[in-house]
Amino acid sequence: MFSTITSGTLYGIRSCLIQVEVDVSQGLPCFQIVGLPGSEVREARERVKVALKNVGVELPPVSINVNLSPADIPKSGTMFDLPVAVGIMTALSKIPAKAATDTLLIGELGLSGEVKPVKGVLPIVREAARRGIRRCILPAENLWEGSLVEQVESVGVSDMRQAIETLTGIRQTAECRRAEGNMEQGENGVQMHGVHGDVSQPGPAYNVSEHDGREDFADISGQESLKRAAEVAAAGFHHLLIVGPPGAGKTMLASRIPTILPPLSAEESLEVSSIYSISGLLRSEAGLKKERPFLNPHHTITGQALVGGGRIPTPGIISLAHRGVLFLDELPEFKRETLDILRQPLEDRKVQIARTYGTYIYPADFMLVGAMNPCPCGYYPDMGRCRCTPSEVRRYLRRVSGPVLDRIDICVQAQPVAFQHIAAPAVGESSAQIRERVMRARQIQTERFRDTGPRFNADMKAGDVERYCVLGENEQRFMEQMFVTMQMSARGYHKVLKVARTIADLAGCERIGEEHLAEAVCYRQTEVLQ
Amino acid sequence: MTEREKAYMHWLYQAVGMGGRGVLKRLEQAGTPEEIYGLAVQGRLEEKLSARYRSKAEQITAYTEGYDVEAEYAKLTAAGIGFVTVGEAEYPKRLATIPDAPYALYYVGRLPEDARPSVAIIGARNCSEYGKGMARQFGEVLAEAGVQIISGMARGIDGIGQQAALRSGGYSLGVLGCGVDICYPPENRPLYEELISAGGICSEYPPGITPRAVLFPPRNRIISGLCDAVLVIEAKERSGTLITVDMALEQGREVYALPGRATDLLSLGCNRLIRQGAALVMSPQEMLQELGAACGATEVYKQQVLFKPEGIPGRLLELLDYQPKSMEQIRQEYAALYGAEMSVPKLCHELLELCTGGYAGRVGGNYYVKKM
Repeated sequence: MFSTITSGTLYGIRSCLIQVEVDVSQGLPCFQIVGLPGSEVREARERVKVALKNVGVELPPVSINVNLSPADIPKSGTMFDLPVAVGIMTALSKIPAKAATDTLLIGELGLSGEVKPVKGVLPIVREAARRGIRRCILPAENLWEGSLVEQVESVGVSDMRQAIETLTGIRQTAECRRAEGNMEQGENGVQMHGVHGDVSQPGPAYNVSEHDGREDFADISGQESLKRAAEVAAAGFHHLLIVGPPGAGKTMLASRIPTILPPLSAEESLEVSSIYSISGLLRSEAGLKKERPFLNPHHTITGQALVGGGRIPTPGIISLAHRGVLFLDELPEFKRETLDILRQPLEDRKVQIARTYGTYIYPADFMLVGAMNPCPCGYYPDMGRCRCTPSEVRRYLRRVSGPVLDRIDICVQAQPVAFQHIAAPAVGESSAQIRERVMRARQIQTERFRDTGPRFNADMKAGDVERYCVLGENEQRFMEQMFVTMQMSARGYHKVLKVARTIADLAGCERIGEEHLAEAVCYRQTEVLQ
Repeated sequence: MTEREKAYMHWLYQAVGMGGRGVLKRLEQAGTPEEIYGLAVQGRLEEKLSARYRSKAEQITAYTEGYDVEAEYAKLTAAGIGFVTVGEAEYPKRLATIPDAPYALYYVGRLPEDARPSVAIIGARNCSEYGKGMARQFGEVLAEAGVQIISGMARGIDGIGQQAALRSGGYSLGVLGCGVDICYPPENRPLYEELISAGGICSEYPPGITPRAVLFPPRNRIISGLCDAVLVIEAKERSGTLITVDMALEQGREVYALPGRATDLLSLGCNRLIRQGAALVMSPQEMLQELGAACGATEVYKQQVLFKPEGIPGRLLELLDYQPKSMEQIRQEYAALYGAEMSVPKLCHELLELCTGGYAGRVGGNYYVKKM
């Protein structure tokens, strides 16, 4: 007998549906899985055999052949256990042949027959919905994730028996139906099954912070110029570089930038959540990603961890920072090669990782925020206190990869916090107020760039700058003066115009004025960095 | 000294190489360079030297093998490098008077004239904006009045003072701690080229000797030896500059120091010098007067027009200092002093206006200083 069950696998950020074909025929007893299975997939044989036995299904001495089609896509992960088990039972006629039509199954099996959670449920269910699958049978702990996709009926099962009952139509109670729509109900669904807890994965080696509304720009006292620069950067999606001594509040500011960026749209939220789902970092308590991510990798990070890698590539930090903020503290301490890898993602806003089987693509559209000391001792350019020789300063700054610096439009100096600011309670603007201005500026940009290449001012190429950053006669003269006194380069000039455009947008001005240009000039990179 | 003798002298300098001052002193007693050459060729040099210098003698003998005295000297001339030995008329008189004057000098360009006064402008390599401005001003005004500016072409004060002297059409000499054919520090290449065409470069080390830390302190005695007075612009408490000052005192040169604030680390060395008796100098004009009529000082000191902008720019300018202040610091101080917050965009605009007006300068990114 022969049966086909639909399942899915991940292929970079894309997921694709996999047909699990099972054939049971007379012959020497054996159990084979073909179709480029990874070692986790190959081990499904043992788990499936024992799990079936423990739920009371004895395997007769037959030859079982499983093919995962399309067979040229490499498969990894443990989500094929459940479909393989169901496929065998269907082929053995223990489940009606039509029971699994239009149904997608994923799940890992324990030896007792329990169904355990897997990674990447969200993108697979999204793909299933796109391809017209009506029902998804998922591990109970992943049910809430599947429930985020409304076009499809998601059913959670906590063991093999429930899966069989669902397929044969015995189990049709309210609790296993997909919960209606939103996340809160998804959570209830999980609770009803009495399953709670972490995905059985070791914790990530890096810091994925969840914003709980406690972090706010109002917490930062003083540092007006720093806050203003962050606002401008957020408004135009410019990459930002903060230069300042340790303890000046660089990290504090950077971690609050997501709170002034516009909230994630529904589409973006699904997109970001999919990446987290693939990485096994989507937690049921947090639900769908609503806040923009903020990633703060340590400077010892390897290039692979940063952009993603592995035999079957998994998303790196920069993909986890997709639509959010990637904060690189102590920028010169990062290995040059590591930073150089960022060049392509900064340009294309996605990462391509080539493997023998094909190219994996993960999105990586993030706002880069770098922080660094002005010199090894931190006091430059105060020569009374700075102990570094000019060559030491230059060597320190040169450690930062030039091509990466080229992409950074805004550079701002942080100042050690004065005592009166530590002592006095912070009474700055709240993130919500700043976000409102940022969103207004974004709105202007969306209208300006409708149906054209760039999305934000930061995306503008030289041609766009000429088109959208037209200067009046007075402004032209001002820039000419600045170009000479500030010894600007052509590239620096374009950056200033782009940033001035964003500042004018923030002010709601159609024309770029002298004061906008002046502020933009102040955000130029230090001459030593150029 | 004849050209032939000088050729042998050049051979001796090259053969002895670095750190051979003791040997040179001994060999001077052994005879003329030519006679020593004869000894070296025969391998009998060791007879004239004590056991201490055996290895040096071997080195000289080894170097001499296959050495063509005439051709090597011709190479020097072809490269435009002058060679002058003590006792010759071209040898700077002032230098000849110091206790351990170099036997010979290699130079490109011109050597300083004996009839005109010379001043060494020296100071920290890692100097402040105040030091930079002052070095520039002293270099410019002194050179314009005909004073020859001698220094070490180093980063910071040295180079800036020399650059200013050349810019105002004066004469300047760079004394190097390596061969005259090597530009050290490399970033001073433009100054090096300018010195060759409009001033001079000299060194007691033969061409090809690369810079080493041990070569610089002996070089400093030549700087102070070549001039009438030494002017220290900025120096920390333990500074290489103070070595030059010590040499200058030994050689009986005048020492001038520019005062600074008691709290400025970079002025600490200068202030200490003043307390120990160095002459306090506040303007190049003052210094010209002290140097005396010898230079025929004309009144060239340009009185600074202390124009003060009105209103907010004026208030901002008052906040600025010769120590760089970051924009945030200026903003905070402005708020504290005048009780009025200034928005970041407005402050940016005002500060840039001051920069373009020439009142302020922007350094190391978003830091601002008062311009001198």
